[in-house]
Amino acid sequence: MINVYKTYKSKILNVEKEGSDSKTFTLSLPYKGFSFEPGQYVMASIPGLGEAIFGVASAMNDKKSIQITVRKVGTLTSELHNKKKGDIIGIRGPYGRAYPIDLAKGKNVLLVAGGIGIPPLRPIILDAIKNPKKYKKVSIFYGCRDESLLNYIKEYSRWKKVCDLNITLDNPTTKKYPKGVVTTLFDQQNIPADASAFMCGPPIMYKFVIQKLIEKGLKPENIYASLERHMDCGQGVCQHCAIGHYYVCKDGPVFSYAELMNFKSWLSPI
Amino acid sequence: MTKNKFQQFVKFLLNNNLVIAPQYNVEGYLHLAELKNVKDLYLGTELPMDSWKWYFLPPEQKMFDYYGQNFKESLPKIKSQILLGVSILDLQALTLLNQVFEKDTYYQEIKKKTIVIGTSLVPKENFYKYFAKFEEDKLEHLQFDIFLAVQKGDYKIYTGSEDGQRLLDKFGYKNYQHIEYAGSIREEGLDQQMLVIKDGMQNYHNQKIWDDLGKRCMQCGKCTIACPVCFCFRMFDQANLERDSGSRNRCWDSCFYNEFTQVAGPAPTAPKHRLMTITSQKIYFWYEHHFVRTPASFSLPGCVGCGRCTRTCPADIDIFQTQRDILKAKQRKK
Repeated sequence: MINVYKTYKSKILNVEKEGSDSKTFTLSLPYKGFSFEPGQYVMASIPGLGEAIFGVASAMNDKKSIQITVRKVGTLTSELHNKKKGDIIGIRGPYGRAYPIDLAKGKNVLLVAGGIGIPPLRPIILDAIKNPKKYKKVSIFYGCRDESLLNYIKEYSRWKKVCDLNITLDNPTTKKYPKGVVTTLFDQQNIPADASAFMCGPPIMYKFVIQKLIEKGLKPENIYASLERHMDCGQGVCQHCAIGHYYVCKDGPVFSYAELMNFKSWLSPI
Repeated sequence: MTKNKFQQFVKFLLNNNLVIAPQYNVEGYLHLAELKNVKDLYLGTELPMDSWKWYFLPPEQKMFDYYGQNFKESLPKIKSQILLGVSILDLQALTLLNQVFEKDTYYQEIKKKTIVIGTSLVPKENFYKYFAKFEEDKLEHLQFDIFLAVQKGDYKIYTGSEDGQRLLDKFGYKNYQHIEYAGSIREEGLDQQMLVIKDGMQNYHNQKIWDDLGKRCMQCGKCTIACPVCFCFRMFDQANLERDSGSRNRCWDSCFYNEFTQVAGPAPTAPKHRLMTITSQKIYFWYEHHFVRTPASFSLPGCVGCGRCTRTCPADIDIFQTQRDILKAKQRKK
């Protein structure tokens, strides 16, 4: 029997700084045949410190490596930030349900990210760049605390060729990006009602963004949010990530609003 | 099997086997412990304080040893064990655990080496109505190796696995009936009591029940330890004293503890973001696991009505009263 908790060795091929507190790690594939879909996550581990989950941020069909972007917030992420090119870390996964990008084929796509919520959406952006005709129009709405925290800044010129990139900041220091939360952008832009929205960010963002998107005529089954929870096993057993009758690790992390709206405890417990 | 013959059977089991069975300890509590002497064995309607999960899911378990970056699987080092006198309620609990941990290497390794001997004895006051009366056709939906149906003056013997048959054959007893496990779902469909309470929790939410419980519960987590179907666990690494080696382990966790839903930390500067912060949320989560999530994921009741949580609760929270309250709230709203 395969031991589902077994972690596989993965070599750090490259480390790149993203803004002031994050780093993108390019990792060798943990095992032969590793593949993932956008929105899925892996469990990264450092012996002695344990495991934590990270959304895979690289292009879907990369046969040689995967990327994760890590913000330094706790013990494990701090140690990850100390790792250098050539070091080994543990990876198991990928786990979870992905964003249903096939449903969005030929349609308008809204990608809404808050802060460190951008990495799991990056595979969709890279997919749109690779296949420009796959989606009708891809609009990115990215809200961040301040300019120094923006991720993937070097790629924006490439993104802009295919996508419509909109950034807002809570505390702008220059006039480059406007001040405000992401929802303010929805009033300035024409949001097509037939669009599929894929979101990743803090719960408070979901609350307001969903409200706005419903106002704009989007259907609940076309709005998808990725939830963050404490996860230990990744198998839907250990109960840490449970919400209602779902397990975020197995049934999620991506849920449609149609699934979430039926019970009270998804944004915060009862 | 006559009572006399059964005594001989237990003696036969004690010969060369580790037998775990309910026994009264010196303080007068019924506990599970290694059986040394046939006369210590308690076979009756009272349920032991602790549940049988201790012997399938040890409170702490090593999963891997690591040396540098290399992880090596560390399987539980147990010899074969015989669990004797498992009430039919607890068999229902084990049947659920077997499903939950179906793909779990560690659980399955222990299961392989364990013989479960069940009994039809249940407490006189039992909230789970299905098992209030023992009937033979209920056995095919439970997982066990040997089963003792208590009749007037003797036991009727059933076997549920080849291991059980082999053991009886070795003892020299042939008069048993074999029951083939037919899956956990019964012919008549899902358990009605389970469905009614699940519907009550999901569709007739009454916040007052949970606010009241939140005021009484002191988050000690004893119910989660006592419960035979509470199986939450947490994984953690333990470093050895020598550099670059240690183990990855798991231990029981409790949804009543503060760190249960913490998503960042515990570095002093890290934001401690916790999803469940107040008691009523935690106790709701606990009930939600047993009465909503388990039925939804496994189509099996997440509570077997053993009442261990009620017995152990220092705040006297009665799970059966809470179930009645859920049903009352449902009736009122209908």
